[in-house]
Amino acid sequence: MQRAAFLVLVAFLAVSCKQVSKENSTESTEVEQIVSATIQDLLATPADYDGKEVAVSGMVTHVCRHGGQKCFIVAEDGETQIRIVPGGDIDEFKIDLEGSNVAFKGVFRVLNPVETDELVEDYESKEHHAVEQSHSEAEKADYFVEAIDFKEVTP
Amino acid sequence: MNWRKWNRWIHRELGFLFFGMTIVYGVSGIALNHHVTRDWNPGIITRSTFAQYPDRIEKSAVDRSTIESILEITGEKENYKQYYFPSDELLMIYLKGGHITLDLPTGRIQITKIRNRPVFQELNYLHYNKPKKLWTWFSDLYAFGLVLIAISGLFLVKGRKGITGRGGVLTILGVLLPLLFLAIYLWL
Repeated sequence: MQRAAFLVLVAFLAVSCKQVSKENSTESTEVEQIVSATIQDLLATPADYDGKEVAVSGMVTHVCRHGGQKCFIVAEDGETQIRIVPGGDIDEFKIDLEGSNVAFKGVFRVLNPVETDELVEDYESKEHHAVEQSHSEAEKADYFVEAIDFKEVTP
Repeated sequence: MNWRKWNRWIHRELGFLFFGMTIVYGVSGIALNHHVTRDWNPGIITRSTFAQYPDRIEKSAVDRSTIESILEITGEKENYKQYYFPSDELLMIYLKGGHITLDLPTGRIQITKIRNRPVFQELNYLHYNKPKKLWTWFSDLYAFGLVLIAISGLFLVKGRKGITGRGGVLTILGVLLPLLFLAIYLWL
């Protein structure tokens, strides 16, 4: 009985170790695929980055008040902004992020024309979008980053 | 024990057990309704106060000392994070727990403080299944319990006021009303 239990334990540990090493190797592959880019880089040639995992950072100018389902970061020029939406294990963005410099890791996405039309239609149907904000253009843009991880960084 | 006694037992015991959960989902459900219609934000409390900057100021003239002077006026020196210009006429200073906006042409300062709304924040956290993990199973159990409470409730009373009488009419009405709303807002 004890011998059987020991064998089960050894088998379990072997499987666990194998999984850990597999996870590590996946992680290292993913890290290699991440492209570090500025907001301007992404917007200059969006097609080049579409579907790719990118690392992008900037000051958070606004977090959506209705559930934190999007936030915006501004480029170093102080004007160009990009929309970040939560993905992976991120449920929402907290309002506390506003005014913080944040480094995001995520997938850059470019919407097709039909999706873009739907997005703009949805945007224009919301009363609170009646007044143009500095992030309005980024909010209805056909590109965004779906964040899978983020970290506040010191300004 | 006949089936009616079992039925009453299920209804009573589950009713007691899930009282707390019903309050959680009921209260946060009202909050969620009004959150969706965007007339109220249950998650946060926003308060604004106003002040006046003594001079007109141009965007190009704003520097660190301008920021410090605004922070001095508003008493928010300790909470300063960063600033930026949403437009040529607006300066925004981010604070821990809010922000300050200065309308450059008029010098009008708006101090907005934002904090989490107590109680609702916690209730919504549970309603939206943010904890995930074991909470998912417990809330599933509650949902199943709620179905049992509803079904057992139909058979609590016998006779004229029961399911074969007035109770049945009310039950049919309760099923028809959501269908009516669906017909008005979705199907037609």
